[in-house]
Parts: sequence; structure tokens; C-alpha cells
Amino acid sequence: MGEYGFPEKEGICLRKAEDRIFGMVMGLFALLTVLLLVFLIYFMCRESLPAIREVGLRGLLLGDQWRPLIFTTVPSYGFRNMMLSTLYVSVLAVLIALFIGVGCALFLACAATQRQRMLILPYIDLLASIPSVVYGFVGLYIVVKFFEKMGRAAGESVLAGGIVLSVMILPYMISSCCDTMVKIRDRYAPASMAMGVSRWYLAGQLVLPASGKGILISMALATGRAMGETMAVMMVMGNSIALPTLLGKAETISALIAMEMGIAEVGSTHYSALYAAGLSLMLLLFAINIIFELLKRRLSREE
Amino acid sequence: MKCKTFLVRLWAVLSFAATAGVIFSLFAYIFRGGAEAISWEFLTQSPKGAIIGTKGGIYPAIVGSACFTGIACLFAVILGISAAIYQVYYCRSSKLAAAISLVMRCMAGVPSIVMGLFGYSLLVLTLGWGKCVLAGGITQGVMILPFIQVRAEKALREVDPALVKASYGLGMSRAYTIRRIILPQCLPQLVSGVILGACYAMGAAAPLIFTGAVIIAKAPKSLYKPAMALPYHLYMLLTQGTSAKNAYGTAFVMMMVVLVTNTLATWFAWRRKK
Repeated sequence: MGEYGFPEKEGICLRKAEDRIFGMVMGLFALLTVLLLVFLIYFMCRESLPAIREVGLRGLLLGDQWRPLIFTTVPSYGFRNMMLSTLYVSVLAVLIALFIGVGCALFLACAATQRQRMLILPYIDLLASIPSVVYGFVGLYIVVKFFEKMGRAAGESVLAGGIVLSVMILPYMISSCCDTMVKIRDRYAPASMAMGVSRWYLAGQLVLPASGKGILISMALATGRAMGETMAVMMVMGNSIALPTLLGKAETISALIAMEMGIAEVGSTHYSALYAAGLSLMLLLFAINIIFELLKRRLSREE
Repeated sequence: MKCKTFLVRLWAVLSFAATAGVIFSLFAYIFRGGAEAISWEFLTQSPKGAIIGTKGGIYPAIVGSACFTGIACLFAVILGISAAIYQVYYCRSSKLAAAISLVMRCMAGVPSIVMGLFGYSLLVLTLGWGKCVLAGGITQGVMILPFIQVRAEKALREVDPALVKASYGLGMSRAYTIRRIILPQCLPQLVSGVILGACYAMGAAAPLIFTGAVIIAKAPKSLYKPAMALPYHLYMLLTQGTSAKNAYGTAFVMMMVVLVTNTLATWFAWRRKK
């Protein structure tokens, strides 16, 4: 029922029939929305089933050879390397974004006034709205070129991907951390001001240690974002199916799908294996989101 | 202790400066490069040249992106706002409301490329629409649906309960209350959410690769024809390395859209607060 509870039984109500029809239409659309997710999972499973049946989960997830189109030998559909590069580049991006994002959130929470925050945060959110292709573009022309100037033969690398991705997830990190830190600061500020403690002592000794869990949650959120990213990562990581190394080229799961879906014959094992790759990425993200949700619930219970 | 405090201060200030610097330089970089490429011809001509895109403009991509985004918004607004209304005002069990929220969070976590796979499998192959504007638009619509629903739900929940109770107390039905009292109050926030969703859809290339975007096409005349899209066009220009100038121009157009839509969305969100 909640706070907007409608007096169903007691009380009079004008135009009851209209209300019922309107409610039914809204309910129908809500049902459709829920069904969309069911459809999504069903279609992903249906399309990836042939590959799972033929290659086996083990062969797909742990196989280190991705050779879908070789006709002389047996084709092989293991996407372990791509899964590892997805994880590698996401963790790298989250670590970089963690360092800058937490610092920036601390600055906004402790050094800026409420009014300044209201003005600055929309600008930071701008970063979240920039199309990922544009990030790929800038990454290609600045980050990759920079690595090439530093004397590497090819600038495309996991590190370049991590740097570009870290800027993309920065807004999520900052706004989520900033929320937590403002709450904590407001709790401690009156007491510490009365004690004559400086603003930055408060930031470093009280706000930062107390927001550890909030930071952890924002990391989970950002990891989810980073792992799902396609275009920008595809453009700056070079797309090689080798085992990922920091300065070597690599290909993420999403890039693999985007690159090869066009050449995979519909209904072939190659096609199905790409769906299986998508499905495993999706399930991994569901798992991360569930962990994030449980953490958040536990956190709010403790408060 | 003093040293540590100083380090924290240094770290915070530097991080903030770095963030601000990145935002500023991203826009400055694209705007500086794009200003030379933008001209009336660039905005109104089709891509031309021996390798497509080296000469000419991006008119079909602008129209194509507008079509994709329009369909996506229509789809997501109808489903998303209705689901939010149902969840907040009609749903009688709190468990069901929580379930809808969970579904939305799961959908928000689905990577955009998987949305593309879903659209390809369901709309393009199973329903047999082929690569077309409608399939691409709906795929993007599914992608921005949780984005819009979550914002709509938040806006609806911020309405003063006393106002709603007063309306019920006067014998008004829920449908009437929602139409005449709640929606007008939330409108700025709803519009702000939809604008941001549109911006998100406009920039996403991943769901369109298999469902609707092609390298070259005329401005779409039918919903069942494929079309060009700005982000996909930019991607093609960059991977083929043909024309840096036109790539800057295309990125410029997208960044302008981002800037304008975000300014509008912030303005609408502030109107509610006043």
C-alpha cells in the first residue's frame, strides 16, 4: 500500500469504472515491462543452447582457443581470454577511477558548499552522457597516440582501454561516493567544528574511513558499467584474441560480439557461441548487481 | 598527523582538478576540431567520396539517429512511465512493487551489446523484420526503459502524500488524481528523465550494429528500412581511417546534442525544486 494507499473498500469514489480501466492498462504495461526481461533471458538462452550442447560449458568458458572459422582443423570456441580481458580492463578502470573519483568526491563533500555541489555535479554527470564512440575517438587520437609517442609500436592496449574506461565510469563513482560522504560529513561536522578541528582533518580522519562501505558499493556499480561497455573499449584495445597483458592488445567479450556477429552465419555454432558469450557476460553482471544489492541492504540495515 | 591531513587535502584538490580538466578538455578537443568541419553543407549533404564518408556530409545519419531515438523514447516512455505509475499508485502488494524494481535493476545491468543480440534474435530474425529503423529503435527503447522508469518512479514518489490523500478524500479516483494532480507536478522531472534517456539512446551504437544501422543509406522514408546513425557513422569513419575532419564534425554534432540535452534536463529538474 505505501503512503499513497487508495481507500479501496471504504469511501466513495467518482468514476470508478474509468479508474479500473486506467489501472488495468497501467498494469498491463508493467507486466509487459517485466515480460521483456523474461523474453531477453529466454532468447539469450535459446540462441546459446546449441553451442553449450555442442562445445560444453567447460569448453566455452575455459577453452583458450577461439578459432571459429578455421576449416582445416576442428574449430574451437573457447572465450576464456576475452572473459579475462573484460575482467582485466574493468578492474584496471575501476582502480584508476577509484583513486580520482574518491578524491574528487571528498573534495565535493568537504570543501564545496551545498550550492556549489548543485552547480558542479551536473557537469560531472555530463561525462556519463557522452556517447561511448566519442570516448573511443578521443582515446584513439590522444591516449593511443600518446603510447605510440612513448615508443611503443602499437598504442592499442589494455592500459589504454583502462584509462578511457576509467573516465567513462568516473561520474558513477563520484556521484555515488559523494552522496555517502555528504551524509557522513553532516553527521560529524557540528561536533568537529565545535572542537575546532580543521575541515581537512575532518575529511581525512572521519569522513574517509567512515565511507569505506559506500565506496565499495560505488565500486560494484562502476564495475558493472565498465564490463558492459562496448564501443570505446573496442576502439582502443586493438582486438587481439591473445591472453591479455597490460601493454598488449586484447579483446573484450562485448567487442568480440560486436566484431564477429556480422560474419557469423545465423544458426551456426559460431553464431551460437557468440550468444553464449553474451549470456555469460550478462549473468556475470547479474551476479555483480545482486552482490551490490545485498551489500546495500546490509549497509542500510546497519545505519 | 599534519602531514597526513595535508596529503588528503592535496589528493582531493588534485583529483577534483583532474576531473574538471578532463571534462573541459574533452569538450574543448572535440569543439576545436569540429568547428572547422562544420558547415551548412556538412549538415545537409549525404556522405560521398570513393571511400564513403571522405567527402560530403552527415545529413542521413542525423535524420536516422533522430528516427531511432524517437522510436526508442516513444517505446520507453509508454512502458516505463506506465510501469512506474502502476508500481507507485496501483500495485497493492509491496512485494510486487519490489519485484518490478528488481527487474528494472537487472535490465539496467544488461550490457548494451547484449540488448543488440536480443533485438537481433527477436525482432530481426524471429519476427522477420530484418535490419530496420523500427527494430533498432525498439532495441534502444528496451535499453533506455529502466533508465526512464527508475527516474519516473523517483519523481512519482516525491509527490507530497498529503496532496494525494486530500484528492482521494474528496472522492477523486486514482486515474483522475494522477492525470490532474500528480502528473502536472512531476512533469518537469519526467521530461528531464526522458531527455537524458534520449541522449543516451542517441549515443549508443552497440544495440544498433545488428538491428538497424548501416554504413550508407538515404534518410529513412519507411520504418522497415535500415538507416544510418551518428555513432555508427563515426565508428566507421574512425576504423577506416578515411577522414579525420568528418570524424571531428560528426563527434561535434553529438557533443552539441549532449550539451544541449543535459542543459535542458538540468533546467527542467531545477524547475521542480523551485
